[in-house]
Parts: sequence; C-alpha cells; structure tokens
Amino acid sequence: MKAIDIIHSEHRALAAVLQALRFLLDEIGAGRLTPDPELLGYMIEYITQVPDKLHHPKEDEVLFRILRERVPEAAGLIDKLQADHVEGARHTGQLETALARYRSEGGPAFAAFETLARGYVDAMTRHIRLEEAELLPLARKGLSATDWAEIDAAFEANRDPWSGPTGEYRALYSRIVNLVPAPYGLGG
Amino acid sequence: MTRRSRKSIWGKRSVTELLKVDKLWAGYGDAVVLEDISFTLEEGGSLALLGRNGMGKTTLLSTLMGAARYRSGTLEFAGKNLAVVSPHGRAHLGLGWVPQERDIFPSLTVEENLTVVACPGPWNLERIYDMFPRLKERRANMGNQLSGGEQQMLAMGRALMLNPRLLLLDEPMEGLAPLIVQELFAIIQRLTEEGGMGVILVEQHARQILPLTRRALVLERGRAVYNGDSETLLRDRALLDSWLGVASH
Repeated sequence: MKAIDIIHSEHRALAAVLQALRFLLDEIGAGRLTPDPELLGYMIEYITQVPDKLHHPKEDEVLFRILRERVPEAAGLIDKLQADHVEGARHTGQLETALARYRSEGGPAFAAFETLARGYVDAMTRHIRLEEAELLPLARKGLSATDWAEIDAAFEANRDPWSGPTGEYRALYSRIVNLVPAPYGLGG
Repeated sequence: MTRRSRKSIWGKRSVTELLKVDKLWAGYGDAVVLEDISFTLEEGGSLALLGRNGMGKTTLLSTLMGAARYRSGTLEFAGKNLAVVSPHGRAHLGLGWVPQERDIFPSLTVEENLTVVACPGPWNLERIYDMFPRLKERRANMGNQLSGGEQQMLAMGRALMLNPRLLLLDEPMEGLAPLIVQELFAIIQRLTEEGGMGVILVEQHARQILPLTRRALVLERGRAVYNGDSETLLRDRALLDSWLGVASH
C-alpha cells in the first residue's frame, strides 16, 4: 500500500501550504503584513499544479476507479470527492485570475482574491479530511493485495510529491518555505 | 516521500557494520533508563528510533554520545569500544549529534557556526549551502537572529560539517510549523539516500519517517519491543498503533 503513503505525504505537503496561506491572509487582514504578489503567486501555482496535475489525476484514474468497482457502497463518497476535484480546478482557475487582477489593479482587488483564497483553503481542507477519514479506511478494508499492486505501480510511477516530473514542484515548495514569514516559514 | 535505492557518495554500497549495541544498560546517575538494548547499524544505514515520550529514545542517543551513564553491555562504533571514549573523542571518531536543543552558537554568524567545527571530508561549506540554500542567504547573520527553522537547518549543517560517519538527529521537527517540517523531511530523505553516512533519526511521527529509513527500533519503557525493517513496521498498523498511538500518524 505504498500508494497510501504517497497520498498521505501529498496531503501533508498540500495541507502545510494551505495552512501557511491561511496564516498569510490572517496577517494581511490584521495589518501585520502587506500582500507579497510573488509569494502569493508561488502558492497559487503550487495549489494549482500539485493537486490538479499530480495528485487528483492519480486518484481519479486509478484509486477511485478500482475502489468504485470493488466497493460499490463507496460510490456516493467517490462521486462527492470527484466533484470536489472538478470544483477545485475551477476554483484555482479563479484564484489565478483574481491574483492577476490584484497584480495589475493593486489594493482594492485584494479583497476578491482573499475571499476566493479563504474559500479554497476551507474547501480543500475539508476535502483532505474526508479522504483521510473516510476514503482511505474504505480502501484499506475493501481492496485486495492485487488491487494494491496495480494502484501502487501507478502511484510509484511518480511517487515523489516533492519533485514532480522534472523536480519543479520541489523547487517551488522550497521557494514558498523561504518566503513565508516565520514562524510558519523561513522568511523575514 | 518514499525510499529509493541508496547510493553512496563514494559510488558503492557498503555493508560493513558501523554500530553495534548489544545488551546495553544505561541511564542517568543511579536511575536505569535503558535495559538490555541490542541493535546494529551498517555503514550508510538508516534507523528510525521510535517510541512514545519518555521511553528512552533521547537517552539512547545521549548514551551513544557519552552524555548519559553507560552501565553495561557492548557499545562498538567502527569496531572501537565507545564506552571508553570521551564525548569529545566520540565526535572525532565520527559521531555527529543534532540535539533537540540545537545548541548553535548565538554570537557567531551562520558561516562561523559552520566553519568553527569543520573536519575534512565530503561535507564542506559549498555542499552544506547546496543542501540548505537558506543558510547561504543568511550566512552573515548571527545565530540568535535566526528563526526556529533556520536554527534547525544550521544545527544539521553544523553536524554535517564534522563529516560524521553516523548522524544522530533527535526530533529535528519538534516545534516547527508543518511547512518547514515537510521541507526538512525532504532534506533528510536526501541525506539518507545520498549522504553516504549512517543516520539515526528520532521522531514522533512514525509514518513520516519510516518510509525514509531502512531499519526501525521501537522502545517501550526503556526496552526494545521491535527491531526490524521499517517497511514491515510501516505495513502493520495494529502494531504501530499499539506502540505509538496517535504519534504514529
């Protein structure tokens, strides 16, 4: 069940970025930080690229497909999670647009970005919790060793959530860590 | 993060026994904390040292470094009897320790902290800065001007500058935000895969470190209750939960 380790690991990385984004929004809202478009851009790039391009396709194409076949009672949950994936991709597209607008128009456009970003953080956090609390236990219980061999092989084809296909996500994550102010990151 | 095949920086894998602990009893003063502990670590090997709080993990590292009271048993490092070597001598033998307290020099710059302890070997400033780019950016800052995450990176970098054959990391993620924790896990993964040195890693979050290590030792009330490969332990949820509880997640 190496696939489950990979899912946990990707969830932890994504949750860490979401938590840091929430921290930034709170600090900006409290007037202790000013928005840094470069950092926000990296964070939006991460939460756009990693879930939509790396994490969710593996779940949709392999884990969910096999789980749907083997555990019929999981269908409702899988439907909900797949709808989340679609909605998440739409949401990140809106975030990119809102950030671009803030970059070009400045201050007043930040409120719209902030509202969208907070909504995304809340929705993705709920989604991760749902997968951890309900989906993965169902998968552990309902799938056979043969099923896991197929799922593991698919997940291990791109098993390092930090690197991405050419190492780009690893570098992106490090840039975020270096820019987010302490104590959540290493930035000043 | 999952384990890949390990490559030594010297280009070949070694199976030489680096550390041998056999029937070790140790503690502090008259108090015995560790009872009858036995395990081995090969050159370049990695070990997850697990257990709930107060089970003896830090005491075991302290005993290896000569900071706790050795009472009896075998304690061999690279074929030498560690029990008769001073703490200072153990560092020279090749034991590098990153304690929980980090113990960096607050009144020295980052670069001075690194170079003051440097020993010859593959780990030099250039390689440390490659592993921790943030330290290069902060090389002129004093130790007390660093954030917690930066201090942890400096503590790890300083231990590496000793060019140890065995690196002991005592809960390096303690007190750090998840964003930094994930970054440090990725760095530790690089160390275990390409560092060419042995690594013993104490951590609360077993499921995060077991994929990074080859071997695991679980302590319960000062005794070893598991000594085997990490993969087997990682796959046994019941065992993990019974020994480590929520800390295993």
